[in-house]
Amino acid sequence: MTNPLRDPQDRRLPRIPEPCALVIFGVTGDLARKKLIPAVYDLANRGLLPPSFVVLGFARRDWGDDDFSTLARRAAQEHARTPWREEVWTRLSSNIRFVGGSFEDDAAFDQLAETLDELRDSAGIPGNAAFYLSIPPKAFPVVLKQLSRTGMADNDKSGGWRRVVVEKPFGSDLESARQLNALVDDAFTPRDVFRIDHYLGKETVQNILALRFANSLFEPVWNANYVDSVQITMAEDVGIGTRAGFYDTVGTARDVLQNHLLQLMALVAMEEPTSFQADAIRTEKLKVLNAIVVPKDVKEDTVRGQYLTGWVAGERVPGYTEEKDVPADSKTETYVAVRLGVQNRRWARVPFYIRAGKRLPRRVTEVAVIFKQAPHLPFQPADVEMLGNNQLVIRVQPDEGVMLKFGSKVPGTAMEVRDIAMDFQYGEAFTDASPEAYERLILDVLIGDKTLFPDSAEVEASWNVVDPLEDAWIGSSPEIYRAGEWGPRAADQMLAREGRHWRRA
Amino acid sequence: MIGLWDTSGNEVVKALAAERRSAGGLASGLALTLVAVVDERLVREAEAAATIAASAHPCRLLIVVRADVMQQRSRLDAEIVVGGRLGPCEAVVMRMQGRLALHAESVVMPLLAPDVPVVTWWQGAPPERIAYDPLGVVADRRITDAAQADQPVQALHVRADDYAPGDTDLSWTRVTPWRSVLAGAFDAGLAKATTAKIVSPDTDPCATLLGGWLRARLGVDATFEKGKSKLMEAVSVSLEDGGTVEVIRDIDAGTCLLRRSGQMDQTLPMPRRPLGEELAEELRRLDADEPFASALGAATDMTDLSTRPNLRVHVWKDPALAEQAEPANV
Repeated sequence: MTNPLRDPQDRRLPRIPEPCALVIFGVTGDLARKKLIPAVYDLANRGLLPPSFVVLGFARRDWGDDDFSTLARRAAQEHARTPWREEVWTRLSSNIRFVGGSFEDDAAFDQLAETLDELRDSAGIPGNAAFYLSIPPKAFPVVLKQLSRTGMADNDKSGGWRRVVVEKPFGSDLESARQLNALVDDAFTPRDVFRIDHYLGKETVQNILALRFANSLFEPVWNANYVDSVQITMAEDVGIGTRAGFYDTVGTARDVLQNHLLQLMALVAMEEPTSFQADAIRTEKLKVLNAIVVPKDVKEDTVRGQYLTGWVAGERVPGYTEEKDVPADSKTETYVAVRLGVQNRRWARVPFYIRAGKRLPRRVTEVAVIFKQAPHLPFQPADVEMLGNNQLVIRVQPDEGVMLKFGSKVPGTAMEVRDIAMDFQYGEAFTDASPEAYERLILDVLIGDKTLFPDSAEVEASWNVVDPLEDAWIGSSPEIYRAGEWGPRAADQMLAREGRHWRRA
Repeated sequence: MIGLWDTSGNEVVKALAAERRSAGGLASGLALTLVAVVDERLVREAEAAATIAASAHPCRLLIVVRADVMQQRSRLDAEIVVGGRLGPCEAVVMRMQGRLALHAESVVMPLLAPDVPVVTWWQGAPPERIAYDPLGVVADRRITDAAQADQPVQALHVRADDYAPGDTDLSWTRVTPWRSVLAGAFDAGLAKATTAKIVSPDTDPCATLLGGWLRARLGVDATFEKGKSKLMEAVSVSLEDGGTVEVIRDIDAGTCLLRRSGQMDQTLPMPRRPLGEELAEELRRLDADEPFASALGAATDMTDLSTRPNLRVHVWKDPALAEQAEPANV
């Protein structure tokens, strides 16, 4: 039944989910403490949670509701984005529950199921629950089995909706991704599975679609006739931190190329969706992901790198193999640059250069569309020496915004043309602080909006791109680069061979 | 900050350009121009509110203070602030005296940021007819505050009479939290509403608008009951199946109580928002507010609100000649 008080034209009223519970597995982990619980608090503070809302924590602890509530309070206070308001927390904390036990413990899961059932009467929640699996992938099978066994994953049995949220990594190759997808889609129905790629929750990433499809200025030149190449950069100045155990087994390509960067590339390269419905967007993204071609000669057109000790941001930092828990002879890459193509008329022969790395000079993620030079320049060669290619740069983080670079005459009597930048910063036109990606995504899960979540077909299509690269890299050693440099020399040479160079991001 | 005394409109334009240049392209991505028509005694309050609103919507803020309209000698004083104490906005505070005050647009028009929406906001009692104020005629969106009139509910009827798409009133903004809670309660798929009751002092225009909204959306005529507080206190809606939905506000605690038949009571946040946050909500959308038109129409028994033309033509009205018949020219 539709709500008579909701008018599609009424855009003051926020979207609020139905009464529901959010069940977090692995609630004592980093992600839960630093992102999920603070995001829930921020949502409550912004008045975006339903009147009946319960957070249920599950972890291997011998805890009561109060212990969990204390942990949650500290996490929210430390990491929340919005100001602290005691009354908001008091209300939220009265709806915080905890169930302790290991994932093999049948009794604990029975108790969890019972707790959820009780909410029907005690909190007025008619069976709606989202399960957030903030746990290592190897624990997925047993947890999913437990959820199936107790009927908690079953929409009909629970009388409401049951959704599951999974975080990357979505497998480590096509084969394992398929198994994982089958496993999750089997326990829940495929449309109730939400795969979080937190990059898609970022305001600027969503703005790529607005920029392309809401304007008439950019789309006509958004093709191989005008575009020379596209560069997508995701640079981090930090090292691997405490993730050595995980990172050393995956490397940069599996860690970020397979998900964040290919998703960014899909949004930049996709055709116009027939509507802004989740399905229509997904269809187009999937089409372009399937059209991505990997280089014929992987050794020639990809570069893997690994950082040596060096200086970053005024501090001396250890090399990758000197990091704690990393084997001294590790061949895992901490930098990757690849030249991909897209097999369709729009992008024929346009290279997509994608790079990502740790311990680069600064933290930046951006998409740069580099246009061809004007076919004819009626100026003296000396006058246009400083004129480069026109560029449209979408900055994803930090300083979210869009920049357009083009040539302009330098004031003076001589005709001298030089590149200048026209810059739009989100912070200038709209300083309404952008919500954290997790806030937006958790809200979307609870509302049931799947627009910003990749589905299993997209995940598998991405592995189809990464798998051949990984296969070709077996047995090879990464090139080295000093921490604080823009990657190995070979990456510069890769572009130089084609007469191009990396944009200094 | 630059202060200009007994100056001209051109000097103000030049000083603003100079100040922007020395600030180094600050606030170059202006989203709108906000013109605030303010009484002298409310200037600081308006500045404080605009500072909060500007932190969400960087804007050029033009504060116009009119005084001594009947005085023969005209005088313009201006104060220009770029960045600094007013946050990420550039502001010009203009004090206009004498006949100039009736031609404020001659100073304001060259100061409007090119090709971005203009919002005019009256901080004080709303004008009788927006068309009488040229600063309202140039605006794409007009914000009044019926609550500041001597007879707020009566003022709301005047606003409805004068309404054109693009008008809005801060008393409607103040109803948003109530509407969110009610709409949230009705998300649970409740039975059809039969009656509604609003507890409020009879001087609160918010209650009138909430009643109008319930009438427009649910088709029920709300009854009003006089409360003890100076603001709207509670609303309850009875349903066909005998149940009720009740929202009771606790203004001091900044919360409200949502009471539904057969369910546990819920306490939800409903803080009193500062004026600046209400203003920021208004600036978020710059198109005509259809739900406001239907709520205002339902509250005042006018049905043609949303079909009226959205352009106004300036009507000359000189307070000096107010008692006389309609004058022919300026």
